[in-house]
Amino acid sequence: MSNQLYFEDVTVGQEIPTLKKSVNTVNITMYLATVWLMDRIHFDYPFATQRRGLPNIVAPGNMAGDYYVQLLSGWAGEKGSLRKMSIQFRNFMVPGDILACGGKVTGKFIQDGKGCVELDLWIKNHNDVTCVPGKGLVELPVRDVSKV
Amino acid sequence: MASLLEELDWKKYIGQETGSHTGEPVLARDIRRYALAIDDPNPIYFDEYAARTGKYGGLAAPLNYVSWSVGVPGAEKGTRELGEDGLSSFVGVPNIPGVWTLGWVRGGEELEFFKPVYVNDRVTVNGKIVNMTEKDGKSGKLIFVTSEFTYTNQAGELLARHLITMIATPRKEDTE
Repeated sequence: MSNQLYFEDVTVGQEIPTLKKSVNTVNITMYLATVWLMDRIHFDYPFATQRRGLPNIVAPGNMAGDYYVQLLSGWAGEKGSLRKMSIQFRNFMVPGDILACGGKVTGKFIQDGKGCVELDLWIKNHNDVTCVPGKGLVELPVRDVSKV
Repeated sequence: MASLLEELDWKKYIGQETGSHTGEPVLARDIRRYALAIDDPNPIYFDEYAARTGKYGGLAAPLNYVSWSVGVPGAEKGTRELGEDGLSSFVGVPNIPGVWTLGWVRGGEELEFFKPVYVNDRVTVNGKIVNMTEKDGKSGKLIFVTSEFTYTNQAGELLARHLITMIATPRKEDTE
């Protein structure tokens, strides 16, 4: 693919293109059904709000990991790969949220001839609240290892 | 200040293995429905041809699916056997004495990916308690328990390494 990103194209401090996701009850239900997750805080509104004191039903935290996988696998392209990510669950993602999943390059280095890029990651909702911050390590192809 | 970890006598469980489970073969349907649920339209998750010519060279699941590929141990129960919260177990909360005297929330996780889960793979997970620490929080003691889960396929290849940190706090009065 001609639009493959290379290690040499990346600068420390740059932000990567944002991925927009919308959280809704249908996607949450699909997720619960397919992985067989029956935790009532994810689908039972009276239970979530009255019994657990949550503002609404909440999306499974794992979905944040999936959004980062989509963000970073897409950014890395066919010849790159997501090697590692760490995420922290700070605030819940709830139905109606429009999420902006983004990242900023914090470092880059060559390891065993491979281009490694470190990123700070965030998922912010439409009220600019960071729900699930994280860090990532992405491997990108290198055009010419002798010159980096 | 008195240590809650010492009081519970949990430090001895650091390093303890928490079990091994092998899942059933992953179906194309599992991969497709998972990609639909997370709203990831990449054709490599839906279309055999796109998958074969794409980055994984075959039909594989979105990377974060790996932790579901074995199934949640003990989750497939009827409603009469599940807890009223719908849960049968809590991944990352070790099955050790005194564990439910505390309330648990998820802190964070770290995932390292080596290979994706391909269609028809049977994935095995092995769990281990790797660390426990204690902090003084605003409303009392906090205990951090980190467990490591490693996922391998039927060929014994390492797919992913997953660290989950759960945070435990003394239970508040039940307000129900």
